[in-house]
Amino acid sequence: MRLKSFLSVVLAAVVCGLGFSASVYAEATPETSIIRVNATLQDYSFVKPWEKGAPSPRRGLGALISKNQVLTTAEMVVNATYIELEHPSSGAKVPAKIVARDYEANLALLEPAVSNDRVFEGVVPMERTNAVKAGDSVEVWQIEDNGDGVTTEVEVLRVNVGRYFLSGSNFLVYQIKGSLQARVNSFTLPVIQDGKLAGMLLSYNSKEQTANILPMPIIEAFLADVGDGEYEGFPMLGIGFAQTLDEQLRDFAGLADKDGGIFVRKIAKESSADKGGIKKEDVILSINGYPIDSRGNYTDPTYGKLSFSHIVRGNAKVGDKCTVELIRDGEPMTLEFELSRKDAADYLIDPYMFDRGPRFLILGGLIFQELTSPYLESWGDNWTTRAPFKLVYAAANPEKYEKEGREKLVFLSNVLKTPSTLGYEGVNSVVVTKVNGQAVGSIKELSAVFSKVPEDGIHRIELNDYPNIIYVRDDISRDINKQLLQYGIGQLERLE
Amino acid sequence: MNKNRSLTRWKVQVVTLLAVCGLLAPELAMTQQVANPALSNPKVDMPPPESVQADISEIDLDAIVRVEVDTKQPNYRVPWNVGGMGSGNGTGFLIGKNRFLTNAHVVSNGRLIYIKKVSDPRPYKARVVNIAHDCDLALLELESESDYENSFEDVEPLYIGGIPKLNTTVIAVGYPIGGERISVTRGVVSRVDFRSYSHSGVDNHLTIQVDAAINPGNSGGPVLQSNQVVGVAFQGYSGSVAQNTGYMIPVPVVERFLKDVEDGTYDYYVDIATSTIGILNPAQRQAFGLPNNGIGVMVCEADAAGSAGDKLKTKDVLLSIDGHTIFSDGFIEIEGERVDMNEVIERKFAGDTVNLEVWRDKEQIDVEIELKRFIPYTIQANQYDKQPQFVLFAGLQFQPVDRSVMTSHGIKDFQARYHYTYFSSDEIYREKPQVIILTAVLPDSVNTHLQPYVHKVVESINGKKIRLLQDVYDAFYKQQAEPGKEDFHVIRCVGEGRPLVLKRDEADVAHDRIKAKYNVGFTSHLEEPEILQLGDLIKTEDDSEEEAETPTAAAISE
Repeated sequence: MRLKSFLSVVLAAVVCGLGFSASVYAEATPETSIIRVNATLQDYSFVKPWEKGAPSPRRGLGALISKNQVLTTAEMVVNATYIELEHPSSGAKVPAKIVARDYEANLALLEPAVSNDRVFEGVVPMERTNAVKAGDSVEVWQIEDNGDGVTTEVEVLRVNVGRYFLSGSNFLVYQIKGSLQARVNSFTLPVIQDGKLAGMLLSYNSKEQTANILPMPIIEAFLADVGDGEYEGFPMLGIGFAQTLDEQLRDFAGLADKDGGIFVRKIAKESSADKGGIKKEDVILSINGYPIDSRGNYTDPTYGKLSFSHIVRGNAKVGDKCTVELIRDGEPMTLEFELSRKDAADYLIDPYMFDRGPRFLILGGLIFQELTSPYLESWGDNWTTRAPFKLVYAAANPEKYEKEGREKLVFLSNVLKTPSTLGYEGVNSVVVTKVNGQAVGSIKELSAVFSKVPEDGIHRIELNDYPNIIYVRDDISRDINKQLLQYGIGQLERLE
Repeated sequence: MNKNRSLTRWKVQVVTLLAVCGLLAPELAMTQQVANPALSNPKVDMPPPESVQADISEIDLDAIVRVEVDTKQPNYRVPWNVGGMGSGNGTGFLIGKNRFLTNAHVVSNGRLIYIKKVSDPRPYKARVVNIAHDCDLALLELESESDYENSFEDVEPLYIGGIPKLNTTVIAVGYPIGGERISVTRGVVSRVDFRSYSHSGVDNHLTIQVDAAINPGNSGGPVLQSNQVVGVAFQGYSGSVAQNTGYMIPVPVVERFLKDVEDGTYDYYVDIATSTIGILNPAQRQAFGLPNNGIGVMVCEADAAGSAGDKLKTKDVLLSIDGHTIFSDGFIEIEGERVDMNEVIERKFAGDTVNLEVWRDKEQIDVEIELKRFIPYTIQANQYDKQPQFVLFAGLQFQPVDRSVMTSHGIKDFQARYHYTYFSSDEIYREKPQVIILTAVLPDSVNTHLQPYVHKVVESINGKKIRLLQDVYDAFYKQQAEPGKEDFHVIRCVGEGRPLVLKRDEADVAHDRIKAKYNVGFTSHLEEPEILQLGDLIKTEDDSEEEAETPTAAAISE
């Protein structure tokens, strides 16, 4: 009872936020603030979309930030089949559930799925600090096997914008220097300043002894978003840009008498910039009043020079107004629009995909899937050269398919040799254009088309490359589907 | 396909020609269009006694000559330079009055050619009469009639025989590495098969594999049996890949070449340029209303620039070719032997016709196709005896994409790779008969910010759509400009939203400065591209082309 009441006081303190004196608490230590997070991850197979790969364990740390909520990185729980929280020293465990997660910002909030007070016994929620600046000393906290805390002091070299977990998803990071040792739960480590949580360690380069820290400002934005009921995620402008260091380009773009500015090279469809009216070849001079220099940086009042992307991603919320000053055709103009975020699922080709398997459908041995970036990336590091080139090209140039009104890009990924697919062995990685004369915009639509059997009992599947069209009998294919199930293919479709 | 990487042509080369050829694996051989794998199925029946097979007693060794060549390699990286000088030697043999047969690769890029015979120390100056890069054969003659009369008039030319049977003895004669004098090696015929010819890198024809030692220098030499030529030694594997595998060009290919050049010019192999799939699937047969008789292949795509472009359509079923029934695996029977249906085309010449029985919309029709060469695929072939084409302006070097440009510059750019690889199958040639790439930027203050855009595919310059290298030249030198941007040269690249801009006055000054500084002898070399022979297929002007992007793992994130 006593413990419970104590915790509620702490929670109140956190909610009240700033200005609460830390001296009320005992000095925060790893032993009294950290919770171990154990997860079992299991990736989905793209080659055999009905299967999952071998499960693998991942052990990391989280910080208790309220009575029973633990903050960790999203990477810790990606494609997780089982998550548990563990007391740092006693080893008491409880299954956990995900309260919220954001793969772009690489953050996850966990809480016990069932009640078990022993897991949090003697562990108190951490205070948080936004005050870290370049040059500060911070501590990285770890836990030994036996439950003893380990504190390593490191130095913050600089604050800039860098990659978190997904390629192409950049946020504010603290870069630190210092020597860290690997321990059992080394995945995701709390970073502390003056006894308060300042961030989470993302990655460590043992050769250079440097690491990137996911900083508190992003964590606070995440928690605020979680706290307001509906999680909306971090907004994005959605432009690709070129620097304007080239004097000739500056003249060309009408920047001769101006400072700075970035040249807009491309705009993601349905992004904030697209909806807000930014056009290719615009030169953006300022965002929300912050002038952008010709390298694409602005001067942040707290951190100094940062990539302009932080103005939108880190300093604004979905739904906020964004004001952009730009030069178009040599004339200055100002645009004001609402910031939004485009969900991964809203792209024709999902840029990332977690916690669900690839959508697929098998008909008599023909395996159809929806094209996603992870599908292509499953070819490994050199996927741009190793994955089927036509699919890589389609993923990079989705406009043509978007114009056709497709939701997703359905393709024939492989052909299992069966009596139904006789003669089509070796056909693979071809985009489906039509089935039985109808356009197909998703696996779900494909399933619907297949369910209407043509009069002659033959499905005609048109493809955009060799062999251009294939024919299969509906009745034979259905029989083979049954055999495939007996043969051990666990499921023949995943439509959702 | 990887095996082709180690195929080397057997010609001794002081320069790196061999290595170059070995590296150039055909990434996209015309496997679908030409449907290559035809093979006769020779039976092992009653060969003559080995002593007869191995008899070369009637061969006049003076008819088998050493061909010495000084070469000049084009330099695709620095196209205004002369290129590497080298020398090499191979073998050739007399087949008629002042006509010596050898491999195309022996004399390709040749500057000076000399012929030497066994019994005479004097080299005789020779020249190429005809050369066929697509089947690696060439005809040479001595430049001087009197040289021929004095030295070869009394030499008996070799007689060309037929296809030797499996497991019969053959003798390779030539001038391979290991010594100066003539060499004789013996082996048996191991296999008759369709294979890639590594000289062009994109052609497949009949070849015969032998286990006689065939080494660099044997190239172009005769392979003999019973006092007759049964093949021309031309390529093999290096010892680290496979042992005792040499390849020779068989007589049907040699005879086709000789017949083709009878009129004085070589007209290349013809190609139906149509991809097909066997109709083995019952549903497919049913959909077409075809009986289950194992006959017919379905047309997947007839390439627009190919012989059948306006004659065949997707879903046509080919039932017979020149009267030979086409079985559902794409094979036909000729003279009791099963061969690929394309073997019929292989034996034909430009302008010949082929007659097909076609099942279209449940009716049988006859289709006659006039055969011609398929030009678009040549950008993926190795180029010889050509000077690299380019335009250099203000340090920006533009070149039309082909295999040599891709490999010499090590181009990995995504759009460049797409345009190169799918040039024929996606009919890119219709919009861009020549795909122009910014292959290099010679650094200077005027262009120093443009280095990151090297290897991009050029879309337009100064408002002019770039379809040919000539357009690049015209755009820079004929006072073209984007409206409202008259003070600038504006280069726009495929999939790149940032235009490359040069101030006109500064660029013109820089052009001369760069030319002097980088020792540029001449700033352009242009030729009429062969692809323009496609005529109407090539669009003259069209602005509807899709914008294209390069791949990123995730979406744009800034």
